[in-house]
Amino acid sequence: MSQFIDADDLALLASSFEAAMADAPGPSEADQAMYDLGWAELLASAPGQGAATAFSALGATGSAASLLDDVVANALGAETALQSCCVFPTPHKADAPGRLRGDTVIVDGLLSARAETAVTTVLGVVTESGVGHFAVDAGLLHGPAVDGIDPGRAYRRIVVEIPAEALEPTASEGSWESAVATARVALAHQLLGGARWMLGEARQHAIDRAQFGRPVAQFQAIRHKLAESLVQIEGAASVAGACLHDPDPMLAALAKSLAGQAARTTATHAQQVLAGIGFTAEHRFHYWLKRMLVVDTLFGSASSIPVEIGQHLLSEGTAPRLIQL
Amino acid sequence: MDPETFRRDLGAWLDDNANDLTPPYEGIGSMDAHMAHYSHVKRALFDSGFGRYGWPESVGGLGGSPLLRAIIGEEINFRDLADPNAWTMIEVLAPTVIDFAPPELSARLVPPFLRGDEMWCQGFSEPDAGSDLASLSCRAAETDGGWVVNGQKIWTSFIEYSQRCVLLVRTGQPESAHRGITALLVDIDSPGISYSPIETMHGRRDFAEVHFDDVFVPSDRLLGEVNGGWRVAMDILPYERSTTFWHRGALLHRRFSDLVAQVSAAGNRGDAAAKALGQAFQWIVAFRSRSRDTQHQLAAGEQLGVETSVDKILITSAEQQLFETARDLLPGVMEFDDDLAAALWRNDYLYSKAATIYGGTAEIQRNIVARRLLDLGPES
Ligand SMILES: Cc1cc2nc3c(=O)[nH]c(=O)nc-3n(C[C@H](O)[C@H](O)[C@H](O)COP(=O)(O)OP(=O)(O)OC[C@H]3O[C@@H](n4cnc5c(N)ncnc54)[C@H](O)[C@@H]3O)c2cc1C
Repeated sequence: MSQFIDADDLALLASSFEAAMADAPGPSEADQAMYDLGWAELLASAPGQGAATAFSALGATGSAASLLDDVVANALGAETALQSCCVFPTPHKADAPGRLRGDTVIVDGLLSARAETAVTTVLGVVTESGVGHFAVDAGLLHGPAVDGIDPGRAYRRIVVEIPAEALEPTASEGSWESAVATARVALAHQLLGGARWMLGEARQHAIDRAQFGRPVAQFQAIRHKLAESLVQIEGAASVAGACLHDPDPMLAALAKSLAGQAARTTATHAQQVLAGIGFTAEHRFHYWLKRMLVVDTLFGSASSIPVEIGQHLLSEGTAPRLIQL
Repeated sequence: MDPETFRRDLGAWLDDNANDLTPPYEGIGSMDAHMAHYSHVKRALFDSGFGRYGWPESVGGLGGSPLLRAIIGEEINFRDLADPNAWTMIEVLAPTVIDFAPPELSARLVPPFLRGDEMWCQGFSEPDAGSDLASLSCRAAETDGGWVVNGQKIWTSFIEYSQRCVLLVRTGQPESAHRGITALLVDIDSPGISYSPIETMHGRRDFAEVHFDDVFVPSDRLLGEVNGGWRVAMDILPYERSTTFWHRGALLHRRFSDLVAQVSAAGNRGDAAAKALGQAFQWIVAFRSRSRDTQHQLAAGEQLGVETSVDKILITSAEQQLFETARDLLPGVMEFDDDLAAALWRNDYLYSKAATIYGGTAEIQRNIVARRLLDLGPES
């Protein structure tokens, strides 16, 4: 029942998503506004395009909306609802966050802001027979509040043990592997939305800021930093876009890693171009920088995914021909 | 013909004719051997019909999408059947000549080029005009029935093997910059042309220094308009960065796969090696994905422009990263070994250093991205 949405409708959706998330005072209001705009239905009918559009807007606005919960739940075939959240893998990893040990489950992972109000949690658990996913009473997963680097507190780390009997089987049949691939592509779009925002800020600053009697945009060192950022963003964006027509998990992994790398490069260059003002708490730059650092670690990072891919290639002894004309 | 059927039929034909199409030399081979085999493969492809797809019927082609040409080079490079650098000349020069030459001229001259019976070269750079191409000074003066060319070119690849050259000459005042440049299609055997090969640092005679001493070029060899040569040169750039890049991307992909096989066979399964490979691979794939988008724009008849500088930066970065990774993960091999595989790694490593120089340097590409894609205004 997946359908394709045409470009004009997508552009309209993108701007209404951006406006809704930019206006919302906090993550739960942003989630509510997205649901009011039909986000859950969009995800059900056009998951690839829907997530790409929403996550680009998420990155561009710097919103802490908990849309990743919906994307992962939908990919696992679980219910998407405002009262429902997911546990995400521990930073830099993509393994299911739960591990069954006897009659307890060790949960080591991340929760989004949605977890504070959710009633049920979807938890992926590594068991002897593979990875399964279960519904768990959200109250069981309350850990200590942690601030972390991100002032928007989009995600926090939890390490808790819960009794195995708290796992309620679900009827849904999505695989953990495909949920990982789906999450990675969505997060790639978020990273790229954020990177484009950072590049836009730095570009405008370079044009507006004059030193030595001219805009700093006239200095080649500045121009090349911004050019390098754009090239990495476009390269990564092309791969993230290709994932829409190609569900290959390796391509999704590459999209996430490339987007993380593009965001890292852009953040470094934008920081340097913004200089003193960009180092202040007053300038908005640091919100995007810190969110980028957090999102980069989700479901594998630009540091960890290349290891994962390289190990896979080494065990195969050859590289697959990805991307067909 | 639809691209997938074409790829399948071509693949079957290449496999059936593998004996005939595989290079007779092992490893790197001499430049002469490369060029001879390149012509042989081109001719076989042309005569089988495959090599005529994607080119207009007016120049001996069978029509169809330029995607078909992208596919040929991809399959040839994945199988390592012919020299990819020689191949670039046709993809770089033929489309522009078809766009700008009088139709009778291209109908006569382009078919032997497509069939590999001829080689052409590109005479743009001069000793004092590298990145600043618009400052070139090789002059053409109007004379009865044509032009008389005097001056010098340098780094002209493949001229030793070429019959013709797309030449940029100054026809306006010396200070006329890009407004006073004209493009001519010149026969290399014209009296007054002499050249001396220059050996590259990877030990090949890839290019040469060329002198023009009262060389007569008939007026029907004009490409585009008088003083309109800059347009011709600018038309070439997007071609240089579409089909040929797809071909080269296939070569890089194959070499990457070779590297994975060698590292894997050597038993190096550490995370550091894995990470370096993963990082090299991701940029090869990023380039390939970007280039795929570009191939489809070209096939849809869109005018390619400055955004192909992004493709250029991506492929050159991917290429250099790949061969630096090879140097790291095959420790000492390219420095100290002399077997075929080592010689190839050494060759490709050294040649990768040219990637950020030819076809517009890395810095010039970043200038273009900053000015035209980021709209940062003029430089100081
Ligand atoms: C393998 C190979 C094959 C080639 N084949 C051909 C061919 O077939 N036909 C042909 O015509 N030419 C060919 N060339 C020449 C090539 O196009 C030139 O080398 C290239 O344009 C650069 O010119 P240059 O070497 O004179 O360097 P220069 O232009 O002198 O540059 C020197 C350095 O200054 C930098 N620089 C220059 N201007 C700027 C600027 N505005 N901003 C920032 N940095 C700048 C450059 O990036 C470079 O790092 C070939 C070159 C190579 C290496």
